[in-house]
Amino acid sequence: MTQALPHDLGPAAAEPIRAERGESLLRRRLSAYFDTPLAFVGAGLLVLLLVVAIAAPWIAPQNPYDLAQLDIMDGRLAPGEKAAAGFTYYLGTDEQGRDMLSAILYGLRISLFVGVVSTLFACTIGASIGVAAAYAGGKVESFVMRVVDLQLSFPAILIALVLLAVWGRGIDKVIIALVIVQWAYYARTVRGSALVERGREYIEAARCLALPRSRIVFRHLLPNCLPPLIVVATVQVAHAIALEATLSFLGVGVPVTEPSLGLLIKNGYDYLLSGKYWISTYPGVALVIAIVAINLVGDRLRDVLNPRLSR
Amino acid sequence: MVVSRTALLAGTVLACVAVPAVAQELKIGVASEATSIDPHFHNVGQNNALRRHIFESLVFVDAAQKPYPGLAASWKAVDDTTWEFKLRPGVKFSNGQDFTARDVVYSVCRIPTVENSPSNFTIATKGIESMETPDPLTLVVKTKGPYPLMPLDMGVFGIISAQASGAGADLKFKKGGCEGLGTPPKSADFNDPAKAVGTGPYKLAEYTRGTRLALERNDGYWGAKPHWKTVVFRPITSAGPRVAALVSGDVDMIENPPIQDFDLIKKAGLTIVQGLSNRIIYVHLDQFTGPDWKTPGVKGTDGKNPFLDKRVRQAMSKAINRDAIVDRIMGGVAKPAGELLPVPLFGTSEDRKPEKYDPEGAKKLLAEAGYPNGFELTLGSPNDRYINDEKVAQAVAQMFTRVGIKTGVDSMTASTFFSRRNKYEFSAYLAGWGADTGEMSNSIVALIATQDAAPGFGNTNRGRYSNKTVDELTRKALTTIDDKEREKLLQEASKVGMEDYGIIPLHFEVTPWAFRKTITYTPRVDQYTLAYEVKPGQ
Repeated sequence: MTQALPHDLGPAAAEPIRAERGESLLRRRLSAYFDTPLAFVGAGLLVLLLVVAIAAPWIAPQNPYDLAQLDIMDGRLAPGEKAAAGFTYYLGTDEQGRDMLSAILYGLRISLFVGVVSTLFACTIGASIGVAAAYAGGKVESFVMRVVDLQLSFPAILIALVLLAVWGRGIDKVIIALVIVQWAYYARTVRGSALVERGREYIEAARCLALPRSRIVFRHLLPNCLPPLIVVATVQVAHAIALEATLSFLGVGVPVTEPSLGLLIKNGYDYLLSGKYWISTYPGVALVIAIVAINLVGDRLRDVLNPRLSR
Repeated sequence: MVVSRTALLAGTVLACVAVPAVAQELKIGVASEATSIDPHFHNVGQNNALRRHIFESLVFVDAAQKPYPGLAASWKAVDDTTWEFKLRPGVKFSNGQDFTARDVVYSVCRIPTVENSPSNFTIATKGIESMETPDPLTLVVKTKGPYPLMPLDMGVFGIISAQASGAGADLKFKKGGCEGLGTPPKSADFNDPAKAVGTGPYKLAEYTRGTRLALERNDGYWGAKPHWKTVVFRPITSAGPRVAALVSGDVDMIENPPIQDFDLIKKAGLTIVQGLSNRIIYVHLDQFTGPDWKTPGVKGTDGKNPFLDKRVRQAMSKAINRDAIVDRIMGGVAKPAGELLPVPLFGTSEDRKPEKYDPEGAKKLLAEAGYPNGFELTLGSPNDRYINDEKVAQAVAQMFTRVGIKTGVDSMTASTFFSRRNKYEFSAYLAGWGADTGEMSNSIVALIATQDAAPGFGNTNRGRYSNKTVDELTRKALTTIDDKEREKLLQEASKVGMEDYGIIPLHFEVTPWAFRKTITYTPRVDQYTLAYEVKPGQ
């Protein structure tokens, strides 16, 4: 593999797939991504969900988190019934008189927010620790990796449950718990690719130039470990959303007056046997669509970013 | 033709013989399993219900918690501080020994010695100063002062056999530690059917923790023999599987079918009965008067405790639409409450009606109290303790928010909730209270009497409400032997507390049972499921 001079190493410079003359790497990657129709579906769904989640306060007929707008006399209405306030409950209401459509839009917002933010933090923290450990090697690396092993040997849901049982409910608390249970994945992933990259000539060259350690680790080593990280992070967003939904379903997690998708499903679960299917089915469908869309995108990214699979 | 008719007749006779033999087993799916067979281990509903099958008490209470003679055939107050119990002659323990006053003394003596008890029965023996047994069937109990609740207390704990438990010949009651107690049995010893010796209508046959508990009819029972030869209790703690077990015929009867499954159960051709319970669901407001006390979770009051103002408490009571909660959240299976116990229990008044829903009046009162724009509040609530507790809390929060008190709900599993509540982390919380004794003094002492550890007042008064008149009336009632007089005092105490809005009652839980069409059960106020009260046929 030919290497550019160390001083002009950008993230793209050492990419395994090299850009052909006259065609930018991003474009090549994009066109590679959209090679399959499923990738279109995944990306399209994801964009759609993001747009409705962000626009929820403007498009939802009701603010489901404002208790003054709810009326339990409108509780458990079937889809299509009219509200006392005049609008129609297209997806019905739950037992608190919450419009399910609004609740799903807002819930989606919370679920995506929790998923993305916790992933960003976990990824930043985990990747920094992982790449630093790999570069340092020796005892530091062994120690960090044993901590990672220890953490990965516990089921994530178990740790998160215990933490939240102690801390109580709250979106901030859920995010912190998710960061704590997820950083280890990134540390492990980054360390793997950093170990390979560490032995390469460009790192050696950077060392010969007596560049500061932190510069080598974060400017040279880390950018070259990004592709697998992006893939893991994308899939982990879906994982984080599912984890948050599970926690809320189990009665820890977000506050009951600000339900996420998981909590909405739990609320409706009590009524499943009694035929009030809409309370948990529609949030369930929304959750499945969100996770499937993210996973489709993540899978395709993996194919595109993996040098071994390309050509 | 003749032959065939005979055959038919024979067949019918056979069928008649065969069917009852099968039907004499009763399988019950219970919502929570007893934590021990030991009748003195844990003073909690499911244990107390099981206890009544095997170990009996001196005084029984009926479905409406009215006391009637049990192992004691009669009792009377000899003077202000002496109660005399005449025991029932001819009662035998399941191991064949006679039941005598010695067994009662032994049981009272053993209660404080039970190890690791999560909640013991000393609450029912604390009033006893001395016990004498002038003859084997007479028990004389002395108390420090007038103690009208003694017969009720005697209905709370079960009697175990002194002989089978290894009591010494010199057994003698002494307050603070009896003489000649020997080595009392450990709680786990009772898991052995040979050691679980009681006088009850059933005997323990088999016990596998978490799976099944089988009882066998005690054929030497002194009272009316129960219909079922064997009874099997199966703990099925999740509501869904419990309903499924009943619908599929795995069990004949279940406790607490969830309200939302009533339609499904009725459609499956099963019966549901409901009975008002002695459990009140209420909201307590922090009324601690400490000068530095910052009510946690309250914002927008400039550091003042808004609940010290009666107008605020009244406004909050008026803001709640109890009928809507009962109708929409409880599916009609509850009763709006105006005081701490439902009529007709002892100490209740017919004319104490639930507060009328009046959001406009509530807003006006808040404005008068100096909160025209309301304030912010966090309402604590358990999410797995009472029927639909978390949903009720949300509905209450919704109603508070409508009159301007912006309310959030902090709900959690019961164990976390109760430990946080006991540390006063909630300035407003939703909880419930079931009055074991089924009379008003129990509820008042627990919920609205001023906290005072010595007489055990205000144990559960975590709103720290304090009203001298309520305390005085209650204290007077607790030392009044005359029933009529005592009831009047308790009615008055309840009225004073309710009119001062010391606590906000929401509703009384209604306990449902579901079972096959071929059996019947009369709902009990104490929520117990008693197999010997389950009768065949309509």
